[in-house]
Amino acid sequence: MARLSFAEALVEGMRHELRTDDRVFLMGQDIGKMGGVMGGSRGLIEEFGPRRIRETPISESAMVGAAIGSAMVGKRPIVEISFGEFLPTCMSQIVLQAANLHYMTAGAIDVSIVVRTRIGDGPYRGHPQCYESWFAHVPGLKVVMPSTPTDARNLMIAAIRDPNPVIFFEHMWLYHGVREEVDNSPTGASLGKAAIRRAGRHVTVVSTGWMVHKALEAAETLAVEGIDVEVVDLVSLAPLDIDTIASSVRRTSRIVVAHEAWKVGGIGAEITAAITEACFFDLEAPPVRVGAPHHPLPMAKPLRDAFVPDVNDLLRAIRQAMAT
Amino acid sequence: MSRPNGPGTGEGADLDPSVRIGLLKAMMLSRTLERACCELNPRWFPAEGEEGVIAGAFFGLRDDDTMAPHYRGPFLAYALRGADLSRLVGQALGKANGYARGRALGFTGPAAMGIVPWVAGDLGTTIGVATGCALGFSYEGSDRVTVCSFGDGTTNRGDFHEALNLASVWKLPIVYVCQHNQYSISLHASEVLPIEQISVRASGYGMPGLTVDGNDVFAVHSAVRDAVARARSGEGPTLIEARTYRLGGHWASDPGGYRLPEVQDAWRDKDPIPRAVSELVTSGDLTQHDVDSMWDEVRQAVDAAVTVAKACPDARLEDIGANEVFADVSEGMSALRGERGEPWLA
Repeated sequence: MARLSFAEALVEGMRHELRTDDRVFLMGQDIGKMGGVMGGSRGLIEEFGPRRIRETPISESAMVGAAIGSAMVGKRPIVEISFGEFLPTCMSQIVLQAANLHYMTAGAIDVSIVVRTRIGDGPYRGHPQCYESWFAHVPGLKVVMPSTPTDARNLMIAAIRDPNPVIFFEHMWLYHGVREEVDNSPTGASLGKAAIRRAGRHVTVVSTGWMVHKALEAAETLAVEGIDVEVVDLVSLAPLDIDTIASSVRRTSRIVVAHEAWKVGGIGAEITAAITEACFFDLEAPPVRVGAPHHPLPMAKPLRDAFVPDVNDLLRAIRQAMAT
Repeated sequence: MSRPNGPGTGEGADLDPSVRIGLLKAMMLSRTLERACCELNPRWFPAEGEEGVIAGAFFGLRDDDTMAPHYRGPFLAYALRGADLSRLVGQALGKANGYARGRALGFTGPAAMGIVPWVAGDLGTTIGVATGCALGFSYEGSDRVTVCSFGDGTTNRGDFHEALNLASVWKLPIVYVCQHNQYSISLHASEVLPIEQISVRASGYGMPGLTVDGNDVFAVHSAVRDAVARARSGEGPTLIEARTYRLGGHWASDPGGYRLPEVQDAWRDKDPIPRAVSELVTSGDLTQHDVDSMWDEVRQAVDAAVTVAKACPDARLEDIGANEVFADVSEGMSALRGERGEPWLA
């Protein structure tokens, strides 16, 4: 056990696999002597050297393509795209190649790659775009977004071991914002499972990344008012663990879905649609969604604060769900 | 490092006669197989006239090397790795016997063949994937190489730029072969390329670039062979521009109308197959009778494959494989599944 930040736990997960499997390597920008953006690969160059920790030109498409090709010949690369904002520059490799290869070759090729990237509001006033739902829309990709240091480590290990392409979203506020005791031994985590972070009887709040922590905060506030909130951490956007959410909603009869990404077309839209289909007659109230307003993310702090959904937005949404 | 264009340059004169004959036969197979696919599928992409580049690029590689053929004329690479010709033809028709089981465009085969398949219709991403194969070889410290071909139009994609730059920075063992047929569907190269020779782009990536006559299969193969040797010995990538001409349409039923007939006729006179035949007969390595026998053998093999493929049912609904989108985690990773057949021309 060690008390680790989210960023340290991510590095710990990669370190574990780099130590145990020579097929694993990391490539990206500034991951060497700089220690990675926001310390996201700190200490790895010292232990593993430039063959395993490979600094790349600013060529996201070639980086992902190179990962896919090296996976085809038996390697298990991790590609670091410094920020999620840069994912559009490598979409064709992710969506057309990585997602398709296994199916289109009738199972002949496995694309065992991890594309890790940073999203969400954080210490920078830049690069926070949350594009995760795009990837959940495309069959053939696994999409992970941990919210705790323990999950960051364990799901990173699971992602590296998975024989499929995994898009791994790391929320920037969580990087140095949460810290917990992390067991450094388990390696058996599986992708595709949601987690119940707080049990409750009255309303289910499904959330991702930093929003999970905001939802837990809102739940404590509402507990004082006698509203018992169940907080589900989605963890995996693809595959989507609708079973866990549905069984929670069948108990609570109410659902709020909250994420930092735009509300329009966000993963919350898919979840509320799927829950409405699966649990329509269990619902006591219409589902409520919380997400960013439909304009680009502004830079100045007051504007950004107004844009990013916060605890007050969650409190409003949960009360709305409880009002019916 | 530009080499002169045109016949009689003597490039490839040092090739062993058995290699020269193998190259001719590879061109014959490519011509016959791709033509059969075009006759059966009006949306197949004719490679006629470009066989000098196709055969010159992929003939004679080692079994453990990888190939990333251009979508125009992809099947020779698979045949060289032992693909069943009837399954290739079936694949072009979406038949159940195709390697892709009706799921993809025809350009895939067993991964064990070590070929980068086409699983999408965009251009350029296969260059990045092929470069990744070379990265894997470099990473493992082996002397395996990758040969990757693509069209002249694709050299305008950003993926081309990013991949060549990365390969050169890391000195990856890859040979890039531009199958320069002068056309991006209906656009002539002069409309979309501000340079006469694509090989000059190599200098921007700090790698050797050379231009060869793509209708001289011996010249193409000689250049690729040298670049492969260079890659194998750890000296990094090379860009080879092989200039040829697309005698057919963009797709088999392309009505065309955007080219001058007299230019097409002039290029038909430069057909790489009769040209190689003439050289081999003149040199005494083959008689006309030998040549006729080679055509007979190739035609019989393709005819038999077509007969089998046509008789095969279309892909069945169970081949949709809605539950086969992901590899099974419990099985672990196997990057190279599938059987390899007896290589054609072995």
